[in-house]
Amino acid sequence: MSSPASTFTLDAFTRLVRDEIGIPLQPEQVSADFDELPDWDSLYLLKLVTALESATGHGVPVGKILEARSLKEIYDLAVPA
Amino acid sequence: MSQEPHTETRPATPTAHIASIGTALPGDPVDNASLAKMLGVNEEWIEVFIGTKTRHFARDLATGEVRWSLADLCARAAEKALYADGVDASAIDFIVLGTATPDTLMPATVNDVADQLGLDQVPTFQLQSGCAGAVQALSLAQTMIASGQYRTGLVIGGDVCSKHLDVRRDLSDAAPSDLVNFVLFGDGAGAAVLTAEPAGQRIAVRHVLNRFTGLGRKAGQVIEWFGLADRHDDRQALTEDYKAIEEGVPVMAVEILWELLGELDWEADDLDYLLPPQLSGRMTRRITEELGLPTAREVSCVADTGNNGNALPFLQIEKLLGEMSPGEKALAVAVESSKWIKAGFALEKI
Repeated sequence: MSSPASTFTLDAFTRLVRDEIGIPLQPEQVSADFDELPDWDSLYLLKLVTALESATGHGVPVGKILEARSLKEIYDLAVPA
Repeated sequence: MSQEPHTETRPATPTAHIASIGTALPGDPVDNASLAKMLGVNEEWIEVFIGTKTRHFARDLATGEVRWSLADLCARAAEKALYADGVDASAIDFIVLGTATPDTLMPATVNDVADQLGLDQVPTFQLQSGCAGAVQALSLAQTMIASGQYRTGLVIGGDVCSKHLDVRRDLSDAAPSDLVNFVLFGDGAGAAVLTAEPAGQRIAVRHVLNRFTGLGRKAGQVIEWFGLADRHDDRQALTEDYKAIEEGVPVMAVEILWELLGELDWEADDLDYLLPPQLSGRMTRRITEELGLPTAREVSCVADTGNNGNALPFLQIEKLLGEMSPGEKALAVAVESSKWIKAGFALEKI
């Protein structure tokens, strides 16, 4: 079920990344550059984009997300403050 | 121990000539909107991340019905090549087919192609290979013509990747590395008539590179095949180490370019056309930028045809023929990321 963007917290996002992609992401790694995340693969964005759209209930800026260097940047793009 | 290429002892490549090209793409193009709907993925992601707009499938993905076999596509491409050059099929001295996705393990698909073309009593060869297969077929054909024993050959490349694309299974839990195959790949075939003397399009094959460079390297791409004893395994049929490919292929492409130029004693500025590796619209754009040949015109097709493996070099050459003038030079670079094969060839219109 979709939840409003405002209630989609960073913690919920971290859980979503773990559940959808299956990488053992720790909360402190959310802001890490992708180069510092050995388990990260840019291919994961396929699942993440779809899951984010479902979780936030709206579209996300795919082009900008592909340029993001960390999961936190992706969260900020998907859930603008 | 590292092994250097044996450049000092390699004889100069003898010349063969491409007289004509024919290609075959099955059915109507399938766009990203249709695929995104079928797969439940984001359409914009396909456009931006993969950069491929359309592809063709021999199989009707929705029903699973096989509309064309690989042999059908290869025979259609070969017929077009023969017709384009006005060559009677009886002039063909041999056939070489490169493919990663034969219709059956036996008979080799090349023999079904020969049958469809009405050919008999000719030597046939089939090379089991991924993206380098068309180049390997060209290399073998060139060597056969250079031997003096054969004068005219059919070189064919094709793949039916959709054999491993099943949208009727539950894809909700599919791994990204599984889903990406649906948007990367396509089906198709291409063929060239190769001659000893210049004929038809009069394209001289100046050099062909085909070299295994995968010693000790984990395969970057694997296509499984299943038999009666293991057909219920839940192994993913087609896997790619996307990260390794993203990192490795651009580097190898640059190495291939400079090795070919060195072998040919050509300067980078001499090149009129570049046929870069056709992984996906986005990867091909990136690799072309890294190859850094501002004066050479890029000849690519993957954004419209999808990555249809061994059909790609023929589709590129077909586009090239529409533009190439006498005296102009073209260089093709291909990388097979399965076991890391460097491939490429150089063409000159005379």
